[in-house]
Amino acid sequence: MKTSDQTLRRLYKVLSVLILILLAFLFIFPLYWIVTGAFKPATDIYAMKPVWWPSEFTGENFVKLLNKRSAPLFQLAIPFSAQFSGTGEPVYFLTGPTVPAAFRWLINTVFMAVTAMILTCITASMAGYALAKKRFRGRGILFSLIICAMALPKQVILIPLLKEMSALGMMNTLWAVIFPTVGWPFGVFLMKQFSESIPGEILEAARVDGSSEIRTFATIVVPMVKPGIGALAIFTFINSWNDYFLQLIMLTSGANYTMPLGVATLQAETSVDMGLLMAGASLAALPIIIVFLIFQKYFTQGITMGAVKG
Amino acid sequence: MKRSKLMALLLAGSMLLGLAACGGGGTTTPAPEGSKAAEPAQSQAAEPSTAESITLWTYPIGNWGKEAEVKAMTDAFTAETGIKVTVEYLAYADGDDKVNSALSAGNAPDLIMEGPERLVANWGANGHMVPLNDLVDDTDKKEINAAAMAACTNTDGSIYEYPLVMTAHCMAVNLDAFKAAGADQYLDLKTHTWTTENFFKAVDALYAHFGQTVGAVYCAGQGGDQGTRALVNNLYGGTFTNAEHTAYTWDDPKNVQALEKLRDTKGIEFDASLAGGDEIAKFYQGALKMAFCWNIAQQLDPNAAGTGSGKTVTGEEIAFMAFPSEDGNSKLQGGIWGFGIFDNGNEAKIAAAKQFIKYMCDSEHTADAVKTANYFAVRNTAEGNDLSNIWADNPIMAEYNVLMPLLGDYYQVTTNWAQARTSWWTMLQKVGEGADVSEMVAQYAKEAIGG
Amino acid sequence: MANKASKPTMSRALQRREDVAGYLFMLPSLIFFLGFVVIPMFICIGYSLTDATMHQKAATAFVGFSNFGKLLGDEVFLEALKNTFIIVIVSVPAVAAFSLWVSSAIYKLKGPVLSAFRCIFYLPVVTGSVAVTVVWKWMFDNYTGIINTVLSGAGLIEKNINFLGDSRYALWCIILILFTTSVGQPIVLYVSALGNVDQSLVEAAQVDGATNFQVFWKIKWPQMMPTTLYILVITTINSFQCFALIQLLTQGGSGTNTVMYYIYYTAFKLTEQAGHFGYANAMGVVLAVFIAILSAVQFKLAKEK
Repeated sequence: MKTSDQTLRRLYKVLSVLILILLAFLFIFPLYWIVTGAFKPATDIYAMKPVWWPSEFTGENFVKLLNKRSAPLFQLAIPFSAQFSGTGEPVYFLTGPTVPAAFRWLINTVFMAVTAMILTCITASMAGYALAKKRFRGRGILFSLIICAMALPKQVILIPLLKEMSALGMMNTLWAVIFPTVGWPFGVFLMKQFSESIPGEILEAARVDGSSEIRTFATIVVPMVKPGIGALAIFTFINSWNDYFLQLIMLTSGANYTMPLGVATLQAETSVDMGLLMAGASLAALPIIIVFLIFQKYFTQGITMGAVKG
Repeated sequence: MKRSKLMALLLAGSMLLGLAACGGGGTTTPAPEGSKAAEPAQSQAAEPSTAESITLWTYPIGNWGKEAEVKAMTDAFTAETGIKVTVEYLAYADGDDKVNSALSAGNAPDLIMEGPERLVANWGANGHMVPLNDLVDDTDKKEINAAAMAACTNTDGSIYEYPLVMTAHCMAVNLDAFKAAGADQYLDLKTHTWTTENFFKAVDALYAHFGQTVGAVYCAGQGGDQGTRALVNNLYGGTFTNAEHTAYTWDDPKNVQALEKLRDTKGIEFDASLAGGDEIAKFYQGALKMAFCWNIAQQLDPNAAGTGSGKTVTGEEIAFMAFPSEDGNSKLQGGIWGFGIFDNGNEAKIAAAKQFIKYMCDSEHTADAVKTANYFAVRNTAEGNDLSNIWADNPIMAEYNVLMPLLGDYYQVTTNWAQARTSWWTMLQKVGEGADVSEMVAQYAKEAIGG
Repeated sequence: MANKASKPTMSRALQRREDVAGYLFMLPSLIFFLGFVVIPMFICIGYSLTDATMHQKAATAFVGFSNFGKLLGDEVFLEALKNTFIIVIVSVPAVAAFSLWVSSAIYKLKGPVLSAFRCIFYLPVVTGSVAVTVVWKWMFDNYTGIINTVLSGAGLIEKNINFLGDSRYALWCIILILFTTSVGQPIVLYVSALGNVDQSLVEAAQVDGATNFQVFWKIKWPQMMPTTLYILVITTINSFQCFALIQLLTQGGSGTNTVMYYIYYTAFKLTEQAGHFGYANAMGVVLAVFIAILSAVQFKLAKEK
């Protein structure tokens, strides 16, 4: 009885490992297909039977991608100058050399994701702390509002947001993508969960010692929720990088595109030049995969700590 | 007490923010009524001051979708006039969405390049465009193809598009595949026409030979829908609208017959995963043996891939054909493309945009603009420059001329057009999934008319 | 707010201190949250009661609830609503169950192997929705896609399946892709939750002769409840963010329309309906109400546990 039970258990173990390996293969496959596709020559791409491994590695897809569109490497504008310039266009005081647009898209995406990340971390850690530890009035209502808004898809407020950005003169700028991302209350929720674990006694002791609120926050709260901030940072970075919808709505000129939007536009234009598309997709995906692999440890630490507190 | 005070403060703050948003919107969005009234007066005043820079959004019309070629032209324009042109490239898959969202945000471009079904029937009729009547004098009216001019004119007489090029849309066959299946006997390569009977014989022969889908009635969206409409209408002589463009007639039993026949033919598949552009690509790849979304620009540069005129990716020969009809005299769908100007309320920009249109459509540079589009000019001469022979050195263009007399009615400007084309591809999807054809046709034709 | 009464009442001065500090700390976040989420939501509600369009032919008029009335009779909308809920109802439990199974199978593995598996299941998340969608579209291709080739090569299908062009499959394909991009985080969470289960309880139960199954249900599962609830919340959020999939794969055709896509479609696609902002916003309000209820219920449950 006992032995048969054990063999059964062993069998289950072997079987589950096999299934896991199969699943792992299925999860890697799309990425494999993107990367190999990017290096396949046209004969492989257009072959009637899919080619599993590039018959030869070619850079032609990347060359095509880079030659397709061009844009200035960067354009620095006077803030809000579009409001006053009379032409409705911003006044640029510094414009970079013309380069393949994909480079500019990469710069835009990094700028957008990093800015959104920094702003979100600052605002969310402050707000999360207040919600968790400050017994101010209206806190319950605010928290309920945050909970209800957390799952809201941005399509719901698509039109008002568009009108608002147009009124603020931010249409077709990266700010129009960054600000709503920062406003999304998930970060606040996450940081509240983290801040709950700060012992009240420590805060009380600091207060008794005469430490100012800001000082308490900076020297006591922030170090204690650091893993949470790390998790939120990576989370926001990935989310912002991939938030195709806001980018689609807000960015209209090719020079302001982001990598995902650029790839989506390529797809709309050349629906089957898969080599070109895969080259674009790998450029859009690889930077963020690399970031993920580097910070992987902090990431898994961060998200698990936040959740278990739940 | 305290709480209500705080709440009030918060509320006031948010209201202020909201007000700022609304107030700002009021000032940046031009009031269309006012600017429209000012329009004729302004255009009479000769040579208003022009803007230094304008934006042009263009759909991929021949090589007008390729940056290198367009840049050469806009650079020449800038050199002559000092007006800088920023070009953005739209795709058919989501270009309309981009224009509409830009319009909503008061962020529309100055110039747009597309056909009358968008420029006139939609954005023009809805009051977003500047009438271009002052650009068209009597000489122009004589020079420009009358049917094209009519299509570019709204029902109230406003011209919302200045036409540049035109063509007849047709279909294409993979000649090598046809020969392999012994189906080339059904093609008349002299006149580039065939009959309905021969068309289906050819499809059957190809299906018997290759054992896979020969042609796809694509219906993932409205992209390239002129092809599916022309196919269905021509097979048994049905129509899409009446001659006056006042009503939709695609509940015609002849169309029902055509749809049923297509659905029941083994080699034809209703494919809701493809739009027109995808179908071309599948044809270019060799997966499909015929394409219904074809025209001369495709014949010159299949799939815009730059791998040689009239050849698939593997070098198989492509022949363009008229759509099959019972007597072989089909009516082809016309395509007309040109420029329109969005009314952004900035007279200087409008003046500069008009200068651009004049430069591209009615000057010694028109030949270049036309050749870039890979289509035929809508006019014979532009400011004394003869345009009738610009393609003389191109045998494919010369051969394609046999199809031009088959050009049918340009009905894409019928009221409710946007709804009609949506209803059309939705109906094709339903038919493909096995719904009753006459029921579907009746239902969706009614939806199109109802708007 | 209800538990307020049970707490010892603070002195007025202290309360004011807490109020000021609390709101000052909230302020930076509130500017963004109110400015770019809450106020647009109110504007959205306002719009939904009007006949606003993008074409300003006539002045916008207040039309009361007639947009909502029209929604009830709009078959496309009702279908979109149905699809939206199918996506959420199928993918949320599927993601939770699958990630629980994977985690329980891998959490005892050696460090490097474990982290390799974790990474692999996380890859689709970081690859990004657009890149993932574009490659899946290619893989699902009706004519030369790898999936059809493999299936017909293995003799499982006779004729290529039109995955994205057939309403019998399209929605499930989208759910599958959404699934692959959703399980990464839950797996990471469950792995650590399983690692944190109190081992002494597990051993005690085993000494008492409890089966593996009983150990799981009676001891591990209750301890992982907070994690599970958190996973349900983030997966629900994720499921409502499937816009890119719909827009890039099917454009809402083949029975894959969702409310999220239909709002965009009504607002900006070139149809006669294009720019019917009042109507599009009414859809937004309906969706927002459903989601708010869903979130509130989830949190009520979370509180009770």
